[in-house]
Amino acid sequence: MSLCDAEKTFILHGVKENFRVDGRDREGYRPIELETNIVQHAFGSARLRLANTDVLVAVKLEIDVPFPERPFEGKLEFFVDCSANATPDFEGRGGETLAAELANILTSAYRSPQTFNLKKLCILKGRKCWKICVDILILECGGNLFDAVSLAVKAALHNSQIPLIKSINIDGDNIELNVSDSVFDCEKLDVANAPVMVTVCKIGDQCIVDPSLAEEQCSVGSVVVAISQEYFSTVTSIGKGSLHPRTMCNSLELGQKVGIRLNKAFMETLHNIQPDEDVGFLK
Amino acid sequence: MPIDHKRINGPEESVPYELFARLSGITSEKTFEETQSANIRTDGRKFDEQRKIFLKNGVVSQAKGSAYMEMGQTKVMVSVFDPREIPNRSDYSLKGEIYCEFKFAPFSCPKRRLHQQDNEEKQYSSIMKKALESTVCLHELPNFQVDIYALVLHNDGSALSAAINAAGVALAEAGVPIYDIVASVTVGVQQGINFLDPTLSEEQMCQTQLTTEKFPNPNHAVVIISKLPMQQQLCQFHQTGYMSLDQLKSALELLTKTCETIVPLVQKCLLSLVTNSIKP
Amino acid sequence: MAEQYKTLHSAKYYRDYLKNDIRPDCRQLSAFRPVIINVDSIKTADGSAIVKIGRTTVVCGIKAEICRPKPETPRQGFLVPNVDLPPLCSSKFKSGPPSDQAQVLTQIIADILENSRCINLEQLCIFPDKIAWCLYADIICLDYDGSLIDACALALISCLKVVTLPEVEYDPGLDKQQVNLEKRSPLNISCTFVATTFAIFDDKLILSDPSSEEENLSAGTLTVVTSDEELCYMHKPGGSPLNEEQITKFISICFFKLSVILRNIATY
Repeated sequence: MSLCDAEKTFILHGVKENFRVDGRDREGYRPIELETNIVQHAFGSARLRLANTDVLVAVKLEIDVPFPERPFEGKLEFFVDCSANATPDFEGRGGETLAAELANILTSAYRSPQTFNLKKLCILKGRKCWKICVDILILECGGNLFDAVSLAVKAALHNSQIPLIKSINIDGDNIELNVSDSVFDCEKLDVANAPVMVTVCKIGDQCIVDPSLAEEQCSVGSVVVAISQEYFSTVTSIGKGSLHPRTMCNSLELGQKVGIRLNKAFMETLHNIQPDEDVGFLK
Repeated sequence: MPIDHKRINGPEESVPYELFARLSGITSEKTFEETQSANIRTDGRKFDEQRKIFLKNGVVSQAKGSAYMEMGQTKVMVSVFDPREIPNRSDYSLKGEIYCEFKFAPFSCPKRRLHQQDNEEKQYSSIMKKALESTVCLHELPNFQVDIYALVLHNDGSALSAAINAAGVALAEAGVPIYDIVASVTVGVQQGINFLDPTLSEEQMCQTQLTTEKFPNPNHAVVIISKLPMQQQLCQFHQTGYMSLDQLKSALELLTKTCETIVPLVQKCLLSLVTNSIKP
Repeated sequence: MAEQYKTLHSAKYYRDYLKNDIRPDCRQLSAFRPVIINVDSIKTADGSAIVKIGRTTVVCGIKAEICRPKPETPRQGFLVPNVDLPPLCSSKFKSGPPSDQAQVLTQIIADILENSRCINLEQLCIFPDKIAWCLYADIICLDYDGSLIDACALALISCLKVVTLPEVEYDPGLDKQQVNLEKRSPLNISCTFVATTFAIFDDKLILSDPSSEEENLSAGTLTVVTSDEELCYMHKPGGSPLNEEQITKFISICFFKLSVILRNIATY
């Protein structure tokens, strides 16, 4: 998408007046739709639509060997696939850089044990652990990909169920794991502290959240903040352009404020989901 | 894993010998406690003291611009090549592009690195690219790409900052138009203490959560910023870990202040470059 | 003016100089560039060496890991040399998998190691058929300015001489090993090899220790590797044929260079 100068000025003035093109204020989000448990063969899944941005996340579980330097912890890995359907830019190998960037930010945001406890995924110290593979598929790109992906990941992890292990038989080097026979003997993952990401975009002199594609074009610099409770688990500047340290502080404050609010609303929605029921929530 | 036919391969599996060493009993908690009570870091620095920096330009004769930087034990080399047409692109782009490749030498870290770029190196490449994209006047290089390669010979913490600093010097030597010199600093945070310019062991300590019973403060993080000092602009900002807003602000303030101390070194290096080129 | 002349007619530019028995960098035809060796500056490696020959810079780092010996050779460890020519060192190389030149160099270095028999791989075995050392020797070129085989070989041998390995106690009954980091011992290296490269310019002029420009303009090069008393490797890609007499001369130059380098290595 490319905008002419007049269009850009229009957006700029809207942001200044705290009345954006689609009627939102600077801190407002577009409507979010969430569906969970839609991929049958995954352990947990979620599809999230934020206006035109569409993301599908599936969680798979594997038994693996822990890293030798961290024998008490399980593993969590993110794979991002940018479908060529999402935007013409992703054709060929175009989406790879963005995919790598998304996976890196997610890995970094989930690294601290405060955000997601990997110790719970350990089955047998140094020998066996669960590995959670989070596969993220970008179906459509309508701006603000980072926020949408982080929410979808959180929802998919919330939706995931880890089978209970009834007994472990150790015979020399062989380890036999017995999984409970009943499919309902499962444990849910704790995602209360899982980070949500907020992209703060500087347009003119003001900062806004949840930029649309057109607004992303007008931005002079953006910061992605990952908020877990009221703490920052990752902050990274994205895109071309630079920011003054003072603007950076303002963006951090705004990101934190919005992040806490978004997380609260999202957690409420997640808890309200009944099995076999699709729920969308609007803010 | 597929066999790499283009290199000589060793045995299928090998492990670092450090894994079988007698446990020394040194944990992050102990190191931190000792550092905190002594109020001085293990290498004798104050918390807000940087390591000694050595900076030299023109180290690679075949490159257009190059620089070598040492920060304490950390050793990084960066080279920059002539702008070339953006490969594999059919349409004309009004702005130039930056290509960054950050690599740790296989022997540069306590654990052996593989030859292929791993995820951490890819992430560092993209952070470095971000910092330099805002530094280079891309509109003056339409349809051109500037290649920047960084190689870490010895990683003892803050390697990315060293690479960005060196890249700034190399870009200037190569004559690539830039808005300003770029200065980058890393800080590690643990329990409300800011470790400026952390060593590798401090970096690792700042990335782990200490036992919560003894240390109730959950703050632990590593923050890297790059700044254009004359323009007073942050061209790159990256934080990972877990930290509160106040802590982040204090770290940011310390970092922006420290960036200024890098500037005279870079200026001195560039000045000698100019005077040497004038002399017959 | 000279600069333009050089870029436009580089071969002629060189010929003008060489007619007067001097090279553009003020060297005599048979002169070598100064050699600098710096060892053990990289503390994360178990041994390291940086070699500069003129502007050519090569770093070699050895990292030791523990592995299981091959069933065919239960009493031997491993030494895995790899030469990397990263895009950093010259605009000739692109990123990605190793270039043809890097693969050839790796093979040459591996052949030199094998032919010279400078290291007995049995000393890398900790317990037969159970546990052995694997030394990964990574040789990285930092500045590509010709005579790379010389620099790589020198970096590798200097590095091997300073490698120290920690003591390992292995209990065959329990299949457990313990490493004592405090007690380290060096390897036993039985000989030193030195490589010398010559470029054959216009089928008759011989330039020793050529720079990258000289290598490009020459029809062929010749590399002779000698170890102590013996000739252990020769490599002559491309170009004009040489007679026996010339080759004997090169070999004697190489022996002389070896003695000089040996004297220098002995001092550190």
